[in-house]
Amino acid sequence: MSKWDHLTKAVGELEEKKVMKILDKFISTNPTDKEVQEVINTCHKGMVMVGDIFEKGDYFVGDLIFSGELLAEAIDILKPALRNCDSIKKGKIVIGTVHGDLHDIGKNIFKSMAVAAGFEVYDIGIDQPVSAFVNKVKEVQPDIVGMSGVLTLALEAMKDTVDGLKEAGLRDDVKVIMGGNPVTKEACKYIGGDAYTTNAAEGVKMCQSWVG
Amino acid sequence: MADIKQLQKDRQQLFTDLYEGRIPKRVPIMYNIGWEAAIQLAGHDLKQAQWDNSIVYDVYDKACSRLYGDLAPVAMTLRNPMHYQMLGAKAIIMSSSGQMQHPEIACLEPSEYDEFIQDPYKMMVDKLLPRLYKALDVSSGQKALTLGKAFKAYNDENVFYGATIGKIVEKYGYATIVTHGFGEAPFDFLADFLRSFSGINMDVRRMPDKVVEACEAITPHMIKLLVHMNPNPSILKKGFIPLHMAPYLNNKQFEKFYWPTFKKVVEAMVEAGQGVDLFVEHDWMRFIDYLADLPGRIRMRFEYGDPKIIKEKLQGKHIISGLYPLTLLKTATKEECIDKAKELIDILAPGGGYMFEFDKSALSMDDVNIDNLIAVTEYVRDHAIY
Repeated sequence: MSKWDHLTKAVGELEEKKVMKILDKFISTNPTDKEVQEVINTCHKGMVMVGDIFEKGDYFVGDLIFSGELLAEAIDILKPALRNCDSIKKGKIVIGTVHGDLHDIGKNIFKSMAVAAGFEVYDIGIDQPVSAFVNKVKEVQPDIVGMSGVLTLALEAMKDTVDGLKEAGLRDDVKVIMGGNPVTKEACKYIGGDAYTTNAAEGVKMCQSWVG
Repeated sequence: MADIKQLQKDRQQLFTDLYEGRIPKRVPIMYNIGWEAAIQLAGHDLKQAQWDNSIVYDVYDKACSRLYGDLAPVAMTLRNPMHYQMLGAKAIIMSSSGQMQHPEIACLEPSEYDEFIQDPYKMMVDKLLPRLYKALDVSSGQKALTLGKAFKAYNDENVFYGATIGKIVEKYGYATIVTHGFGEAPFDFLADFLRSFSGINMDVRRMPDKVVEACEAITPHMIKLLVHMNPNPSILKKGFIPLHMAPYLNNKQFEKFYWPTFKKVVEAMVEAGQGVDLFVEHDWMRFIDYLADLPGRIRMRFEYGDPKIIKEKLQGKHIISGLYPLTLLKTATKEECIDKAKELIDILAPGGGYMFEFDKSALSMDDVNIDNLIAVTEYVRDHAIY
């Protein structure tokens, strides 16, 4: 039992008003950095709970979107209270929606859950050419590259992107995960990725297993 | 020529039997590839060809000479870029690869729900259209000119495409099912164009009553689009509604926000004798009983789901199509593709009420191996006989 279990539960149950009330009260006590970090970690735990409930099939995509918003609101309240912002990141992920595809909702859900899990996430946006992925990977040297897409044509664009990473000699330095409506085991093999998922929470778990 | 006329008559009969509740001679085949894919198949440059109607006949002709279908196996362009460009559309834009798409966009602020609920039409005209179309965010006079120009382009293109399809239909002897209106479930309209996918998911938790009232305010306008603007309704004409948001909601949200107003729209269509054509996007297995309970004889194209349960629930009432995974055509062997068709036909065809269709339409020729596509559709043509 932790004294913050009620906050974990409120985040996990997506009780926005309750979460904000707890956080406002906490901030008014003028907490130390250590205490703020503990509460941030507590919110992350609540997000893990959201992911678990989603995997069980009791939450749906709409709930995940709301949880991302809830976490962002919580961090907005908590971050200004940190005097020293350095926190330990678990790993770096470069994500983007591949060229030809303008959809970003799935990417944004994955992003908020990956940030919640402690990753440093670089989001390059939608409809991104191969060169944008390659350049960002060169620049930030991530552990993982995440490719997103909704349309069936995204599969070919994902393959182009992986091929681009290979040509630039970067493929072996990163793990590649792909997510979105059209991805399947067969498609993942064809594209040359390391993992695929249509479930953001599961995707974040795969990323965690890679950076261990 | 007489043979083509007879072929057309036979094909039309397949659909008439299907829609009117009799078992047709064979499972009708109604898939189509997207206009963008057809342009690529004909060997034209996608970005250029969408602006050039001199290639339209060639695009249809090349696709139809290779692909089998009982209806023309090419979809007319859904999103002609001309009028969208003239209007400065923000919600429908062309991607780097040339496909017109719908990015995540909101034009209604959460604080504006009351104003919208009071008079949705006025709000759309005065405030929301100029936010969705930047070329309408100008003086009234300029707005009138822009709208006139865009509507003329839209109409001219439609007439041109329609006349070309007419020639193709006669040349190949296709059956036709006339489209009679295009609308959305009120909740989908609110989500897709006004509040965005993400925005609506905040609203259903933060201001649930406003969302319910907004859906109710939209409902008469959807009924107008799908019923009142269509004289001479018929079950053989289709009022098309793609269903979007339900699978992303939990069951309580679905019952509260999505279903009541959508059901009203469908009831009004059925009552008027209008055919209803639903694209049941994503996975609706949680809501299959609701779909089964809808009145009339509705064509439901499913993207995902368990074919056995869908058949069991809808048999004898509605028409099932879809469920064949388009992506299989790219990744599997010809034999595996045919086996999948056989599997679906064995489950879905008995007793009628089924037409063959893929779970989604190809947006790009990169999506499919065309040899597999041809093999599968010809298999259905030659073997799915009652």
